[in-house]
Amino acid sequence: MAYAEAKNTRLRENTLDDDAIPEKRGRVDLPFTILVLILLSIGVVMVLSASYASAYYESGEPTKYFTRQLIFAVVGVAAMFLFSYIKMKTYRNFSMPLLALAVGLLIMVLFIGVERNHAKRWFDLGFTTFQPSEIAKIAVIMAFSVMVCKYGDGLRNFKWSHKSEFIKAFFPFAGVLGVIGALLLMEPHKSATIIIIAIGAVVLFAGGFDVKLVFLALGIAAAAAIILISKAESSYAELAATGGGDYAFRRIVFWLHPEADPSNGGYQVLQSLYAVGSGGLTGLGLGQSRQKYLYLPEEHNDYIFAIVCEELGFIGAALILVLFAMLIIRGFWIALHARTKFDALVAAGVTGMLAIQVFLNISVVTNFIPCTGISLPFFSYGGTALLMQLAEMGVILSVSRDMPTTRNG
Amino acid sequence: MKTVVRQPDDKPTGTVLNRTFWLLIFCGIAAFLALGYNLFKLQVIRHGEFESKAIDQQTREAVVKAARGTIYDRSGKVLAVSATAETVYLDPFLLAKNGENASEISDALSALLGLDRESIYEKYANTKQRGLPVKRKIEGEEAKGVREYIVANKLTSVYLAEDTKRYYPQSSLASGVIGFVGTDNYGLEGVEARYDDYLTGTDGRVVRLKNVSGTDMLFGDYENYFDAENGGDITLTLDSTIQYYVEKHLTQAIEDFDIQSGAAAIAINPKTAEILAMATFGNYDLNAPFDVSEDILATLDGLPDEERAAGLAAARTAQWRNKAISDTYEPGSVFKTITLAIALEEGLINENSTFYCGGSYSGVPGRPVDNPYHCWKSGGHGTQTLSEAVQNSCNVAFVNIGMQIGAERFYKYIEAFGFKEKTGFDLPGEASSLWWSDTEFMNPKDKTELASASFGQTFNITPLQLVTAISAAVNGGQMYTPHIVKTIKDPAGNIIKSVDPEPVRQVISEKTSATVRKILEDVVAVGTGRNAQVAGYRVGGKTGTSTNTVIQAETEQKKYIVSFCGVAPMDDPQILVLVLLDNPSNKSGVYISGGNMGAPTVGNILSDVLPYLGIAPQYTEDEAKQLNVTVPKLISSTAEDAKKTLEKAGLSVRTVGDGDTVTGQMPSVNAVVSPGTKVVIYLGADMPDNSAVTVPSVTGRGYYEAKNALESAGLFIRSTGVPATATGAAVSVQSIPSGTEVEYGSVVEVTLVDKSIQGQY
Repeated sequence: MAYAEAKNTRLRENTLDDDAIPEKRGRVDLPFTILVLILLSIGVVMVLSASYASAYYESGEPTKYFTRQLIFAVVGVAAMFLFSYIKMKTYRNFSMPLLALAVGLLIMVLFIGVERNHAKRWFDLGFTTFQPSEIAKIAVIMAFSVMVCKYGDGLRNFKWSHKSEFIKAFFPFAGVLGVIGALLLMEPHKSATIIIIAIGAVVLFAGGFDVKLVFLALGIAAAAAIILISKAESSYAELAATGGGDYAFRRIVFWLHPEADPSNGGYQVLQSLYAVGSGGLTGLGLGQSRQKYLYLPEEHNDYIFAIVCEELGFIGAALILVLFAMLIIRGFWIALHARTKFDALVAAGVTGMLAIQVFLNISVVTNFIPCTGISLPFFSYGGTALLMQLAEMGVILSVSRDMPTTRNG
Repeated sequence: MKTVVRQPDDKPTGTVLNRTFWLLIFCGIAAFLALGYNLFKLQVIRHGEFESKAIDQQTREAVVKAARGTIYDRSGKVLAVSATAETVYLDPFLLAKNGENASEISDALSALLGLDRESIYEKYANTKQRGLPVKRKIEGEEAKGVREYIVANKLTSVYLAEDTKRYYPQSSLASGVIGFVGTDNYGLEGVEARYDDYLTGTDGRVVRLKNVSGTDMLFGDYENYFDAENGGDITLTLDSTIQYYVEKHLTQAIEDFDIQSGAAAIAINPKTAEILAMATFGNYDLNAPFDVSEDILATLDGLPDEERAAGLAAARTAQWRNKAISDTYEPGSVFKTITLAIALEEGLINENSTFYCGGSYSGVPGRPVDNPYHCWKSGGHGTQTLSEAVQNSCNVAFVNIGMQIGAERFYKYIEAFGFKEKTGFDLPGEASSLWWSDTEFMNPKDKTELASASFGQTFNITPLQLVTAISAAVNGGQMYTPHIVKTIKDPAGNIIKSVDPEPVRQVISEKTSATVRKILEDVVAVGTGRNAQVAGYRVGGKTGTSTNTVIQAETEQKKYIVSFCGVAPMDDPQILVLVLLDNPSNKSGVYISGGNMGAPTVGNILSDVLPYLGIAPQYTEDEAKQLNVTVPKLISSTAEDAKKTLEKAGLSVRTVGDGDTVTGQMPSVNAVVSPGTKVVIYLGADMPDNSAVTVPSVTGRGYYEAKNALESAGLFIRSTGVPATATGAAVSVQSIPSGTEVEYGSVVEVTLVDKSIQGQY
């Protein structure tokens, strides 16, 4: 239905050009905006609930995290609307400079960034910290969108006889991902590397990357996962006993068998599962989490959704999933209705990034995939990350302003 | 509308729309369905599993100790009761987690609890452990001190937990019966062990939420109470007053007769087999059951650690051993009561039967002709009636009776009287008796077992089996199961279990039983049991002096067990007392026999217990004259009145000084003295002499000789035991040992026994 309607819109759109865009742009997409604001509100309240105990025990000030998150949320909403006013053409023009800026910041952070837990991922801005990888994400989306518009046709159909043309077309994309990925790994920041590659892949996929190669890549990834899992299965008992093994490999092991080392390797996973599982159908009630009493580490950051599950139960958690799903569907809907290919790719890319983060975060919290540090958009505590997310939503809203349907309607 | 064709790269192509549509399906729908399904699995399907694990780690359980039931004697006096106390625990895990200082805490606790500092410090070494007890069952100031220390320093690695402590208000009284509990409040001996299930109850719990460091959660709303179910209360058949008298006289007997291997006494109601008292020595303080006497500790001093520990353990086991049920012995002549009952019941003998004793009995198949059965009286008893044969405890007559009964019949009655099986008594540790197999016993070619069994030798039974069987012999022939517990009530006071005595079987007829009673009464009235007489009461009984034939064969040393089983009153038996003294030494100077040692002890017990039971004495004229007299108050009455009062009381008078008013008296008011004692009254200015005097030795002397000796030393006499006028009455023991310095005018009590009763009967 939506697809057919979108196609019709496209056909009509062929009759338009840039000059046809009036000075006055359309309104922002209302459903998308409302969904963002609802999720943000729930998220901020959940930060209050989840961080209450740890904030109290750490500083004696139970609303410490909540206050900061609230300020950033308010500023973030303002930023969202601000960014929705910036024209898509401007974004397009600044895409490549933004990428250059991102690379520059990623290099800088290796030298002047603050180090936490053996990783240099943050700039200290005094009042807050800031991860350049957040800039890199949106930069990759925009840059790839531009690049797909320019060289994307060469990636559509891979033929072995014409492999050099294909490689030539793919080289800029691989180069960007390679440089950024390498810089992220040097921090190191594995989860950001994974997300950057994934969102790059989303934009390439939307841009029409040869589906044969997509399946090939998925096949290789699946095979690698199976090999790793079987290797982890055969050695988990030994690993749990000796505490040896590579860091990443141990994560896979304790993803599969958290109970093998409940006080150490499997602690985070088990505590998260206890929180999620003990919520049951209806939950313990807002503010009534017990796992937040220092049992569950990262309870207001990466694992906030576990507290959501514990307090609001399956009904509340499923409702939030539905809200996220609606937001993501609306994001892609905006992409489907975008005026230009660039607009469509950016909207699909940003929505895809949102979907990837939500999916990976909730999968980690529910031990669906091995544990890795990915925050939940609009929920996880973190000022600049929230600000960035809302600004990115602003970009989607900017796309929505230029949608022919919106504009005409 | 203007129509312009756009740049090729600016057109959202069909491919882009197609791909975006698929992304919408995957990212917006499929992925969320997967997440939703996974969430449903965890939150709904596996909810119970995770919830219980979460609650396990989130909650802190505080045990609410169930109060252990109280043990009462039959009159409701408390014998064992529990009170709350506290136990101090260490939590090394939290010590490490919360960075508390083990060294400082060890110093403080060592000072507060009086424990070795190192022993506390070492407990903190393994920081994976939790809940290590440091000192159990502390109370009052000690507990308060620890609590204040914990609060003042906000410690998490030391805590107090509720516990209960057992108190035994009567300390050592009936220790062998009551038993005690271990540190974990489980019964280890006696009633405490046997009825542990009833007494224990079920501990309750309080479950509270806690945060990771173990303190209460900020707004924890989860609190669950599981009520403790207190233990049941037990009322024993035991009477603590009777128990007190039994223990008192048994202790005295052990001292007087220099008993080497312990003693036991049982007082039982022969009509119900309710145990009224059960004593065994060594006694121990139930409040400190692991402490052994200083004498024993002294013998262990200087031994290597291992031997010392083994010695200590053996001493504890010995003091906890209830000799009345856990040790078997050869009952000796007391058992003749049973042989008598069997023969009477079978109609083989009657009160008119006569027996001739020439000093020995030969002709028992299997016994060498040149080694006949000897009577304890080597000259023989001559011709005796049945009653006389029992009075004399004549072995020859009883071998004769045994032969008449025959092995088969004898064995049948042995089983009927319950000698071959445990009595079913409700205390732990009852021993099994030792008997020959039926084929061995009934071997027609060898009747030596039957012959020696007839007078109570060469088999082994427990004292409890004997009193149970003799109870049946005197109560009309009914066998009852002996028991110590009367009722068990739940905490609400409802009776859970009540033991109503019911006869197990009829062993002999009422008529036979009446004859047995009559003959036993004769034994005490005129026979070998005379020393058990109690003025004013009809007492019956049977003496016993047995040798341990096994030890005798092995070591060629004669070790005696002297005993006496007394019953009273004989017209309606209310109480039966067996006293057993194991291995009296010959240093006491008292002739070693049941009649000289067991009988007076039982007599003393009965003289206290029978009035306590509310049985009024009925004195014969002769007995009335012999009764001891309580000295009345004479001071400040006139000399004339005092003289009249004393004469009326059966006392004579001696006056000192001149005057009308009595200013002093000797002995003092309420002293109990022998009738006819010359009371000294002081008139005018003369006052009693307060100087100390030395008690002379009067043991072995006749009553009047002893009276004179004491009076000339400035002391007074009062006697118990056989009447002072009885033939052969002599002092067996004196209450104040010779050589003791006492106040002028003190009263010395002497126990009179009939010295003419000599011999190992």
